[in-house]
Amino acid sequence: MEIIKILIVDDEIEFGSTLAERLELRGFSVKAVSCAEEALTILKSDWLPQLVLLDLMMPGIDGLTTLDLIKKHDPRIQVIILTGHGATESGIIGMKRGLFDYLMKPVDIGELVSKINEACKS
Amino acid sequence: MKNNSSGSSYLLFYGINNKDLSTKERYRCMRNSMLIAMLAITLIPMAIISGINFTQFRKHLQNESYTNTRLSMENARAATNAYMEKTKAAITLVLESHTFEELADQQQFDQIFRQLKEEHPGLVDIGLIASDGIQITYAGPYKLAGKDYNNSLWFHKALTRKIYVSEVFTGFRNIPHFVIATSKKGSTAAPDYWVLRASIDSDTLDHFLASGNTGALEDIFLINDSNKLQSSSRYHGTVLEDFQLRNKPKHDEIVISEEGKNGGFYRAVTRIPYTPWLLVLDHQGYVQRGDWQSFKRGLMLTLISCSLVFGCFILLFSAFIAGKIRESDEMRDALLSETEHNNKLASIGRLAAGVAHEINNPLAIIGEKAGLMQDLIEMDHDFHYREKFIRQLSSLQDAVGRARTITHRLLGFARRMETSLTLVHLNDIIREVFSFLEKEAAYNNIHILLQLQKELPVIRADHGQLQQVVLNVVNNAIDAIHNDMVATDNATEEISNEGEILVTSQCEDNKTVQVIISDTGPGMSADTMKKIFEPFFTTKGNAEKKGTGLGLSISYGIIQKLGGKIEVNSEIGVGTTFIISFPVYSERSENNGNN
Repeated sequence: MEIIKILIVDDEIEFGSTLAERLELRGFSVKAVSCAEEALTILKSDWLPQLVLLDLMMPGIDGLTTLDLIKKHDPRIQVIILTGHGATESGIIGMKRGLFDYLMKPVDIGELVSKINEACKS
Repeated sequence: MKNNSSGSSYLLFYGINNKDLSTKERYRCMRNSMLIAMLAITLIPMAIISGINFTQFRKHLQNESYTNTRLSMENARAATNAYMEKTKAAITLVLESHTFEELADQQQFDQIFRQLKEEHPGLVDIGLIASDGIQITYAGPYKLAGKDYNNSLWFHKALTRKIYVSEVFTGFRNIPHFVIATSKKGSTAAPDYWVLRASIDSDTLDHFLASGNTGALEDIFLINDSNKLQSSSRYHGTVLEDFQLRNKPKHDEIVISEEGKNGGFYRAVTRIPYTPWLLVLDHQGYVQRGDWQSFKRGLMLTLISCSLVFGCFILLFSAFIAGKIRESDEMRDALLSETEHNNKLASIGRLAAGVAHEINNPLAIIGEKAGLMQDLIEMDHDFHYREKFIRQLSSLQDAVGRARTITHRLLGFARRMETSLTLVHLNDIIREVFSFLEKEAAYNNIHILLQLQKELPVIRADHGQLQQVVLNVVNNAIDAIHNDMVATDNATEEISNEGEILVTSQCEDNKTVQVIISDTGPGMSADTMKKIFEPFFTTKGNAEKKGTGLGLSISYGIIQKLGGKIEVNSEIGVGTTFIISFPVYSERSENNGNN
């Protein structure tokens, strides 16, 4: 069975790295970056993720723009937004642009894993 | 200035803006001020016009009375003068048409007396007196022949003048009378001068003056310069009594003065030429005139009736206006208060959203770190404190979960998410909520009764949000009744009665749909009622660990967003009632809303 590759894009490095570690413990292959530019670099490399966990509010390129760039790069990559921001309007906009789901921080790891599996199956 | 709030010692107009007064007193003050101002505006001009009218009419009547007095006096003087001239002419004629010898003859003299008496009934007697003062012949009822008048004033005055009229006196006859005496120079056979004297009863003057009296005349009489009445007066006594007269004319002019209280009558005085008399005439003043009295009565009646009618109307009108102003002020205050409350809630919402967002990120880090630690420990079965660490980390995750619940609700309270508006049957929502809470309520000995109006009009709302609103309110009611029962049980150590929640739906005027949720809980104080829609305000306490204080504030936001209204009534010991209203959906209202 192929290992699911996940890219975490979050300016909160502590959060991203810890979550990456937890997901790896659950059998995923995970990389965490802190900005959109780094994420695009990864995407252009050989290591192509099936799913991106994306923060909404980041310095520089924001979450929604990053979503557009990811979808432009490869529309097959599923994206789940993981944010502490409560503006669900952004989630709705994201959905219209191909976002798979919108989750609020802090998220339960079980719920996140089931969403990841769901996204990758679709 | 100090104000006495209990009485009326404060100045009326000052009180309107006086913050020290209670609202009721300020509005009363305003009503009184309006009342006084309007009364002044209407009654003062009316009083001024009435006053001018009163003065002018009185002046007119005064002038009229004055003129009438003068005319009456002129007539009376002319009549008196004519009478005296006629009498004097009769006496003079006798003197001129007879010789001394003829008059000295007693028989002829008696004959002349009888003729004169027929013509002048007031004539008492006549006498012929020689220049030495001895009465030569006498005709009359008294025995006065041979009487000596040498010491009588009238006799000497008659000698020096051609004709003389005396004052009224009693003389030898002892009755009031006056004398008309005329003298004539004698011939060779006669004395140097001789005098014909006629005595006339003063009653003659009374009768004559009385005959000229009219209704407007109060009194008319004669006096002399010594202030003795020369004829009887209606009010001032009989002949020869004293009478004080202030203004006496020096010649034959007519002097008129106002006498009596408030112009009771006019007194005219004039002299009768060639007599020692002054004619006094008292004429009725305007005060006693019927037209003046009826004018005064009419004016007073008009003033009083107009004042009463205007007073009543103004009283009602000022009370009505003050009431309307008060109503409008109260409405404005209520609107301001509601706007202020809404702004306050909106500000709190924005603040809460910001705080929640900032908290969520560190909270996520804590959660993930704790989660990782838990993952690692669970994998290491040899770790000595494994169980203890797992318990501690579970508690930490629970705490993160609780914090997450709070921040998510905070965001839910604040966010302006797009709602999915559909046509909703309120009764369906209530039934769904009832199905969720039925078991929990039954477990707590609480009955939920539904009284749902059939064929309730639909409303346009978000199904889920509306469900959340009803759920929040009914949940609160269950908690309130449950907590109250537990508190009562602890206090009395007995099992308390069952609680009840009544959920009613109804339509008002086909414009509003209402859901009314009443409980038999402990009720709320007025202070609590003011705060229940504020975020984080809770009465559930921490023991239960279930009160975040966001349920009602979120419900409030949802209801506001849907164009509805939530009201609460509560009484301690009786219970609480929430009334949630939504506008009924209609295509027309929808179009208006869109416009």
